[in-house]
This record gives sequence, structure tokens and C-alpha cells, in this order.
Amino acid sequence: MIPGVSYAQRYWEDVEEGSALPRVEDEITYRRVIMNPATTWDYFPAHHDPEYARSQGQPTIYVNTMHFLGFVDRLATEWSGPRGFIARRKVSMRRSIYAGDTMVGEGRVVRRYTDEAGPRVRHLVDLELTVRNQDGELCCPATVTLEMPVREPGEPG
Amino acid sequence: MAPKSTEATGYDVPIGTYEDATAMVGTTTPVRFGEIAVNVPMIRHYAAMVQDGNAAYWDDEFAERHWGGVVAPPGMLMTWLIPLEWKPGGVGRPRPLLTARVPLPGDTFVNVSNDAELFTPIRVGDHLNVVEELVEVSEAKRTSLGTGHFVTTVSTYRRQDGELVARTTNVLFRFMSEDDA
Repeated sequence: MIPGVSYAQRYWEDVEEGSALPRVEDEITYRRVIMNPATTWDYFPAHHDPEYARSQGQPTIYVNTMHFLGFVDRLATEWSGPRGFIARRKVSMRRSIYAGDTMVGEGRVVRRYTDEAGPRVRHLVDLELTVRNQDGELCCPATVTLEMPVREPGEPG
Repeated sequence: MAPKSTEATGYDVPIGTYEDATAMVGTTTPVRFGEIAVNVPMIRHYAAMVQDGNAAYWDDEFAERHWGGVVAPPGMLMTWLIPLEWKPGGVGRPRPLLTARVPLPGDTFVNVSNDAELFTPIRVGDHLNVVEELVEVSEAKRTSLGTGHFVTTVSTYRRQDGELVARTTNVLFRFMSEDDA
């Protein structure tokens, strides 16, 4: 086990529809936005050049799509544990998160069910998530379908 | 108003009319492979940017046992297909994704929505390819940022062995920036 790494696993059987996911707050510094192009190779200037962002009618640089995706996935899999698999994720970017903002993630379980993907039965949960800024403005609503592990026979409850 | 330049985007984004754009609907790109295979250093830098401590990204032994190798965060999907900024012998600027190669009046863009279906985990050593299709260009619409068109593309990602990895539908808003009053 590596200190600080997330290992805690939740099992599909234990999920309750309607339950809330832990709220996550994440301060997005200027440096953090610059890490967007550094780590995703997305050099679109609105993510590293404040002057360009202003020419678009935005106050300063803002996080890119792949950062929103990563934050939404983090909300889902920090809750589920590292054996959760994002099977589907829809995000709608209604408002930007700017350098200096705080991303606030919240979510809840809306459905727990199984389906069949070929010969395989998938154990799924649907999550509804929101990413807001520090003023409570909705920036990015998202839905995630997460495949989760079930307990092996004899595994402690 | 004189047409504005897309120069500042850093990509070759063509200016054209809505009719030029609709004529392009249905276009499918050839299969294009990513420049670099899925790898641990890029996974760790991205996970550090997101501040995601998921063991599947950080613990080689855990990842091998449960996933058959270190897993790439699914939010990195597009990253594996972004062209290098320069290559030996290369000329000009990197070619943008299909969504930015649609001729339209707008000089800039913001991404609006993304719907991803993921079929299998992406792991270290995978070498992904993509086929992009232009499926829709909306009529001109007015938003708080300006007037422009919504461009919808579908991207299908496969692994080097042909396994279907993901399919995404993306909507980008291509608009005309407005000068401050």
C-alpha cells in the first residue's frame, strides 16, 4: 500500500439509491489551469493566455474539457473506489471555471441496476453530479454510469 | 464586419460560410493513430493535475492485479490522440481535431458538451487510434458569448488490436468574438 493513495472500495450490493456522494472542493489556481495544457496537450490559448481568454469575452483563463472530465470521474471513483469503471459519462459545460475559482463537486446515486453486455452481467449505478463554482453557480452538470464490483463469495461484508 | 482571423488559436482553423460547413456534414476522417502509446509518466502528471489518488493510476501492483496494468484516467482519452506540436521535417502548425477543421464564420470556439461511452479500460502500452465524423452543424445561434454555430462530432477510439475502446459525441460552439463596447 502506498501512503495517501485511495484503496477503499465500495461494493455494488451496498449502494443505496438516493444516497449522497461526499462533497469535494478544489481550489483552481492559475498554476493549476496551466497544468491543463501541460498534462493534456491541449494548447488552445484560452487555457494559458489570459489576453486570449479576454478576447473571447471571458475574464481570464479557464479549465479545459479534460479537467472537467477528470474532476467528474474523480468524484465518482473516489466514492466507489479504484475498482469502479466509468462506463458512460455525459457532461455539459454551461459556465467556465476560471483561474482563482473553486470547483465544488456534489452528487447522488439515482439508480442501482444490472444489465447484460453480451455474456457479461454488469453491476451498474447511475450518478447525477454537479460542478459549481464558489458562488454556487452551476458550471457543469454531469451524469455517470459506473460499473462496480460485487463481493466474491466469502468476502467480508 | 470584416472576417476575423483564427490565427490566434494556434491552429489552422478555416473560415467559411454555414453552407461550406453543412456541405462537410457526413465527412469521416481516415484512421489516425496517436503519436505516443499510453504511458505511466503522462498518467501520473494528469492524475496530479486533477488531484486524483485512485490506486489504479498510482499503484502498479494494485493496477496489475485488478486491471491487468496501470490504468489511464478516462478523462485523458482525447490526449492520446493530440498531435505533437512539431515533428522532424514537419511544416506548419499541428492539424486540429475535425471539429475545428469545419469552415465557419467564427474566429474562436469553446467546448460545450461531451458524451462518452467507454467499453474497456485504457492501460499502459495501449496505442489508440481514432476516426472522427462530422454529424451536425447548427444554424447560427446567439449565446452570451456571441453568435455562432454548434458543431457535433462523433469520435470512435480503438486499440492497436482493433478492440473498440470508446465512442464520444462532442459539441463545440464556434463563434465570432465580440469587441468590447
